[in-house]
Amino acid sequence: MTPAGGTSPMRSSYAPAPGHRYAVGDRVRVKSAFPPGHRRTPWYIRGKRGVIERICGAFPNPEELAYGFDGEPAKVLYRVRFAQKHVWPGYQGPDHDVIEMEIFEHWLEPDDGVDRSAKS
Amino acid sequence: MSDKPVNKGPHDMGGEAAGPIDTTDHGMLFWEKQANALRSVLSRAGIVKVDELRRAAEGLEQYGKLAYFEVTTSALRVLLLEKGLVTEAELEAKMAEIRRRFDVPDEMESPIKRKAKP
Amino acid sequence: MTKSFDIYAKRPHGHDHDHDHDHDDHAPQSETEGPPSEFEIMSRAMQELLEAKGVVSADQVRRRIELFEEDFPYRGGRVVAHAWTDPAFRKRLLEDGRAACSEMGIELEAERLIAVENTPEVHNLIVCTLCSCYPRALLGMPPTWYKSRNYRSRVVFEPRAVLREFGTLLPDNVTVRVHDSNADMRYVVIPMRPKGTESWSEERLAGILTRDTLVGVTVPEVSPKE
Repeated sequence: MTPAGGTSPMRSSYAPAPGHRYAVGDRVRVKSAFPPGHRRTPWYIRGKRGVIERICGAFPNPEELAYGFDGEPAKVLYRVRFAQKHVWPGYQGPDHDVIEMEIFEHWLEPDDGVDRSAKS
Repeated sequence: MSDKPVNKGPHDMGGEAAGPIDTTDHGMLFWEKQANALRSVLSRAGIVKVDELRRAAEGLEQYGKLAYFEVTTSALRVLLLEKGLVTEAELEAKMAEIRRRFDVPDEMESPIKRKAKP
Repeated sequence: MTKSFDIYAKRPHGHDHDHDHDHDDHAPQSETEGPPSEFEIMSRAMQELLEAKGVVSADQVRRRIELFEEDFPYRGGRVVAHAWTDPAFRKRLLEDGRAACSEMGIELEAERLIAVENTPEVHNLIVCTLCSCYPRALLGMPPTWYKSRNYRSRVVFEPRAVLREFGTLLPDNVTVRVHDSNADMRYVVIPMRPKGTESWSEERLAGILTRDTLVGVTVPEVSPKE
């Protein structure tokens, strides 16, 4: 997103992601954390295990923007793919159905194979 | 063990059981289009950030009971007050003035109705 | 509940042929049905105060209303129709949605667009569970069902049941791929092009690329009258 008054046109959907921690194909787990405040990591995906589908770029942190701060330094945003059967106990659909969403790097950990998904 | 999910905002509803979907698009009333446009002008000018609007919406006690544009209007109100762009007194006074306008009989063609014609 | 004026369910050119033309669908809804709600009054009050303080102008607001009404809703169909007819453009659209739209002279606003394509093996479906993020500068305003609690909560865990409510049935061998548009990216679906449209112009193709097909709840239909 261009800042207010910014003059450089945004040509691409993507932005550079210098120093990104994860690569496409990496297995990751969403942090099983439940802090208060404005978060863009849906509650239902906390603790779930998935795979990096795409690197979107580094963007100002919405968790800071929400409170009037500039959200810098920017955080790397990834698209992560999850098997629906691993997200919802008793998912009513074939094993190959997936759900994908964007997760910021600070919400991700490498997947060590342990399921720590939240029990709601 | 708590029954209530920890720090799950009212907006964070993915995965919750809910009823059938009304698949018809009911469109927008004129005031809703105008409210949307206002919000759009303000966020594009950097006066309020979309993230701030979302945060304000999420904090509304009435979130679950309000319709979409009622949420966005309430959220904008929270932010305008927070940022000191309007005061409570100004808002109350202006709202009272507008209520009086709508009480004007039809024959006198209220300015609001005139404004409402695109 | 007051009736509302709905333009977004209609196709951009011509009318749906299954409704009665006698009632005037295209007249703006009168504001005279009952008193305005507290929220309408609140919204108008905020706008008037901000105009009086010079923070926004009536012209700016009016211009945005026009864009949302007359411009944005028609762009998505054009972009995808072009992708249907031009495989190289389709590839570029899939690689970088924003840049591809730009090629067509369609400058998106904040949208970091990702196009996802339907294939015989994969069906894509878009939602924003946390609010109602939507590529507004490409598709216009989202439909009321997209913003509803029932869609936002259910489509992520029972997408096939939701699709059935829209009349879309998918066999089990097709993967349903749900996208929760929860951060900076925005999404548009490239549906599969129906058979029998091979000779169609882009304009005609855009006509069957309704908003619902671009969100993924339905697939384009070629009616016998097309």
